[in-house]
Amino acid sequence: MRLTALDEAAEAIGLRKNQAVAEARAICPKLDVVEEDPAADRRLLDGIADWCDRYTPLVALDGRDGLFLDITGCTHLFGGEKALLQDVLSRLFQMGIDARGAISSAPGLSWGIARFGNGDVIADEEMELVLSPLPVAALRLEEETVAALQKLGLKQVGDLIHAPRAPLARRFGAHLLLRLDQALGLDEEPVSPRRPVASLSAERRLAEPVQAEEDILHLTGQIALSLKTSLEERGAGGRAFELVLFRVDGRVFRVAAGASQPLRDPRRIAALFSERLQAVHDDLDAGYGFEILRLNVTRHEAFDAAQEDFAGDRQKNVSLAGFVDRVSARLGEDCLQSFHLCESHVPERAVIAAPAIRTLSSGKGPENSGVSWSRGERPLRLFPRPEAVEVSLAEVPEGPPESFRWRRMLHRVSRSEGPERLAMEWWIDGPDAGARDYFRIEDDTGHRFWIYREGLYGQLPPPRWFMHGIFA
Amino acid sequence: MVQAPMAREQLFALREEIARLEGKPVPAMAAARQEALAERGGRDREKPRLPLGVTMLDEALEGGVPLDGLSEIRSSCLRDATASAGFALALSALMQKQATADATPILWIADRVTSMETGVPYALGLKDFGLDPQRFLHAAPRKLDEALWLAETAVESGAFAVTLLEVKGNPAHFGLTESRRLSLRARAAGRPLLLLRQSGEEEASSTAFRFLVEPAPAAIRLLPDRSMLDGSIGHPVFRLTLEKSRNPAPLSLILEWNPHDRQFFPAREPEYARPPLKRTAHPGSRLSASLNRPDRPQEMGSVMAFDQAS
Repeated sequence: MRLTALDEAAEAIGLRKNQAVAEARAICPKLDVVEEDPAADRRLLDGIADWCDRYTPLVALDGRDGLFLDITGCTHLFGGEKALLQDVLSRLFQMGIDARGAISSAPGLSWGIARFGNGDVIADEEMELVLSPLPVAALRLEEETVAALQKLGLKQVGDLIHAPRAPLARRFGAHLLLRLDQALGLDEEPVSPRRPVASLSAERRLAEPVQAEEDILHLTGQIALSLKTSLEERGAGGRAFELVLFRVDGRVFRVAAGASQPLRDPRRIAALFSERLQAVHDDLDAGYGFEILRLNVTRHEAFDAAQEDFAGDRQKNVSLAGFVDRVSARLGEDCLQSFHLCESHVPERAVIAAPAIRTLSSGKGPENSGVSWSRGERPLRLFPRPEAVEVSLAEVPEGPPESFRWRRMLHRVSRSEGPERLAMEWWIDGPDAGARDYFRIEDDTGHRFWIYREGLYGQLPPPRWFMHGIFA
Repeated sequence: MVQAPMAREQLFALREEIARLEGKPVPAMAAARQEALAERGGRDREKPRLPLGVTMLDEALEGGVPLDGLSEIRSSCLRDATASAGFALALSALMQKQATADATPILWIADRVTSMETGVPYALGLKDFGLDPQRFLHAAPRKLDEALWLAETAVESGAFAVTLLEVKGNPAHFGLTESRRLSLRARAAGRPLLLLRQSGEEEASSTAFRFLVEPAPAAIRLLPDRSMLDGSIGHPVFRLTLEKSRNPAPLSLILEWNPHDRQFFPAREPEYARPPLKRTAHPGSRLSASLNRPDRPQEMGSVMAFDQAS
């Protein structure tokens, strides 16, 4: 057992990282040792990263304890780079997090200064000057490389900057020079954000936090109104939206909602979230209120503006789309489904149920050419899994049963039609899948069933009978 | 004193509104006014109805199934659930045929248990039954309140030619209040709503009509030369009982549904397909007469004729 992290008090009495716990206890018997929980640390870092979304949508995680924020084009919203840095650090400090930060045009330099120097805003011309006195560890190198460099007396980055590059590369590999160039801003280093960047986004910062659902919805409508012009400029409408709610104490809630058609109308966007908030009601704890509301358009599609006609046909489409959106937002996408016919003669594969929200805008969906071949009548209700039926007496070799027992009830067959032989699809089921002989059967009480026999009499294994559907 | 006539006027207006909502005959004064209106404005006040094309049934239904309200279709046990669903879907096909622009879909709000017990609607089967699977939406809510919310929203949205709400049995959360609420919503929106009660008892509800549907032996296929194909299973046939209507006597008849023409026909019960007499599991006398106790009560009346032997 070794120490992995220390607080200030422990550092003050001279404990070090990687020290054995027994040794540390010997130095300070009252030491409070807590077992490390990397998952919890990770959750905390994720939470902070979520919170940092308030500054920029481009937030990337860095290792176990760092965050990169790409603030290109965001600083003026917070009164300049210096003010932004101070805002971040002071807010984090108020939340009880001891954070250090730096702003520069190279992520590598910011990393090094935040950890080894005095964090500040570094201008482009003084990058080399600031970097030179830092230890070589500030270059994000492996421990062995750092140790090897220090053995050679190359203790500061400044020693490396002016050293000839070729011998360095030969001895320590290209990685060292890459890191050096990245720290100096000579090499581009992309920061990969942890969330996909929304194509459009608008937000509202509030002086007084809001708690009530109506207020949130009202504000959502207003934000949607401000998004409308940008959507119009692009000739697009949003298909997927995300409402990001920043709570006063730093928690961030994300509520996503989809639409069946590209949307622009602020009222309909707000209506989506009114259903969605109903659905997530219990998970959304307003606490002391939300201070920032942001509406992201995560997916948008071309919006074909159509003129209203006198017949009101378009109105009907709008109301159907509105209904589908409301239901999908409130009860989930899978609740409402539409059926599509496929090219397959196996009954359960001939029809695919897909969420209506995805298929509504695409129009007709797959063409129904799959049913052009002549086939027998199909039942009104089909069992997703065929149920076993007990047949004691059937016409041999391939006739309908005389009577059968299904769900412990004996049905006497009075009429039957069939068989309709459907071979299974060898390219899916393999060459050994047996064909099915389907019969339409009417029993003496007028119930009509669709049952099939798998296998043939006189062969092994003996045939089995299944109930697959019921006719009206 | 001046305000009194105004208040009376308001009161009458409110009464009239309530009567209109409940579908009751309006009070005399308002009725007279409406008659005058009807003479002037034509038949716009008349409630839209869907005639089934069978004279006897349409007369009992006062013109047909209401197109702006709730109607109930019931099956007595889960075995008959597909028959009742078939009748409801046949009605839906008729409503869809009549709906404007013929582009309005059907919404089927399924019940989870019934779907497990009797299967889910099958698109190819719907096609064979005279419906367009492209214009059929299937909703599978988890709970009854979700189903009720769905039904209400669907009716209000006005996007559907007909909304079908399938309910299993007689749930406690779906009583008179809820059915009245649905009925009022449907009437306000002017859209039909069919309540499909599977394996349920008769229950007081706010519906105008209630049908009991039982399966009946299917019709026989007609060959092109109009001869019958013996032993074939043709168009579906339903045994229909109109349990609830203005007419106190329940009406019972047998209907055949033609999926190709999307039309109902009255059917006669074929002789050969009459259901067998209800057989008891153990024929013979039930119990021997007791020795030392009073005899069981004798049956009233006397036997006039025995059952047919053959």
